[in-house]
Amino acid sequence: MTRLEELFAPRIAVIVPDAIGSALAADLRARFERTGYTRYTLLDRGSYDELRDPGELEPMAALIAVTTEITERSLVLAEARVLQLVPGDYLLAHHDRVHDEHHIELILDLSPALVPNAAVHYRRDGDVYFEVPSRPCALSIVAREPSVTCNHVYVSKLHLDARVVRLVLLLRDA
Amino acid sequence: MWRLGRSWDLEHVLAETWFASRPFSHLVIDDFAPNEVLADLLAVVDEEPVDRRESDLFAFDATAPEPTTSELRALRDQFAATLAPALTRITGKLVTRVDMRAYAYRPGHYLLPHSDHQDGLHRVLAYAYYLPSPEPPVGGELELFRCRLENGAIAATDCAQLIEPRANRLVVFDVSDVSLHQVREVTAGLRISLAGWFHA
Repeated sequence: MTRLEELFAPRIAVIVPDAIGSALAADLRARFERTGYTRYTLLDRGSYDELRDPGELEPMAALIAVTTEITERSLVLAEARVLQLVPGDYLLAHHDRVHDEHHIELILDLSPALVPNAAVHYRRDGDVYFEVPSRPCALSIVAREPSVTCNHVYVSKLHLDARVVRLVLLLRDA
Repeated sequence: MWRLGRSWDLEHVLAETWFASRPFSHLVIDDFAPNEVLADLLAVVDEEPVDRRESDLFAFDATAPEPTTSELRALRDQFAATLAPALTRITGKLVTRVDMRAYAYRPGHYLLPHSDHQDGLHRVLAYAYYLPSPEPPVGGELELFRCRLENGAIAATDCAQLIEPRANRLVVFDVSDVSLHQVREVTAGLRISLAGWFHA
C-alpha cells in the first residue's frame, strides 16, 4: 500500500466481548501450561512467558471467520503465539516488530480474571490511539500498519495473583 | 543549599570507587546535603507543579523538563556549579550543566529497564537524589543490570546491584549503551527524588 492509500484505508480496531466462553478459556490455559512457556528475559525489551506456535486450537477457525466478516477481507492464519504476563512483566513498544505486510492482529484474552491496568496499547507516533483493556474472553481485532506499534502494559505487583494470558494471532490475506 | 561534605575531599577515593564499581561506574553518596537544608529543599520541590507522566516505559508524577519556578531553576544551577567540577575530576568526563526534575513515585509507579543513552542528547552522567519522604517507600529501588553484548546488541541481562532510595542519598552513574537500569515499582509509600543528567 502506498502512503496515500494507507492514510485513507479503513483503520479497523474493534473489541468483541465474550468471543469465547470461560470454560474454553480455562481449557486453553491448561493446554498451554502443559505444553510449557519459554521465559523472555531481555529486560530492555520485555519480560514475559511465550509459547510460539501453539498448534491448531479449537476457536481459531471461528475467530478467523468473525474477522473475515468484520474486515471484509479473506484471511488466513500467518502466525500464532501465546503470551503470559505475571506481576512485574511487560512488553515494550520498541520490542514490537514493524508490520509492513498489513496483517490483521487478533488478541484473545484468556486471563482467568480481570487485571487492573493490564491493557494492550496500540500507538501511532508514540501516542495511544487504541486501548485493549483487560477483559477475559474478549477478542480485539486491529489492522496493523507500518506506523503502528503495540505494547503490553506493565502488570503491577500490587495485584500479586494477577495472571494475563493472551493468544495473539496474525492474519494475512488469503 | 548544596555543599560538598567531607567525603568529597578524598576525590581519589571516589575516583577509585567510580572505576571499580560494577556493573557500570556509579557512586552512592549518603548524607549528601546538610541536614539543616532538607526542609528548604522539600519546600522548593513542593512549589513546583507535578503531572502524571506515562508511557510504555514508565508511570510516575513529575515536574516539567524545564523548572517553572525560579527557586527550582536556582537549585538546579547551584547543583551543577557545586558538583560538575568535582565529578569531572572524579569520573574523567567533562560535565558542566545539568537537567533537574522532581519525581514522585506513588504505589503502582515504576520506570522499566532502559539505558538513558540516546544519540544527540549528549547525556554524560545520570543522577538521582532522594528526598526525605513523609511516608518512606516500599520498593522504588534503583536496580542496575549487567548486560552481555553480542554484535553490539544486548544479548543477556541480569540484576547486579540494588540501591535503596534512602533519604538524602545521591547516586551518580555513567550513561552508555549498557547502563541498563530501572526503578522498581513502588508498592507503598512515596518516593520523592530530584533526577536528571549532567551534560558536557
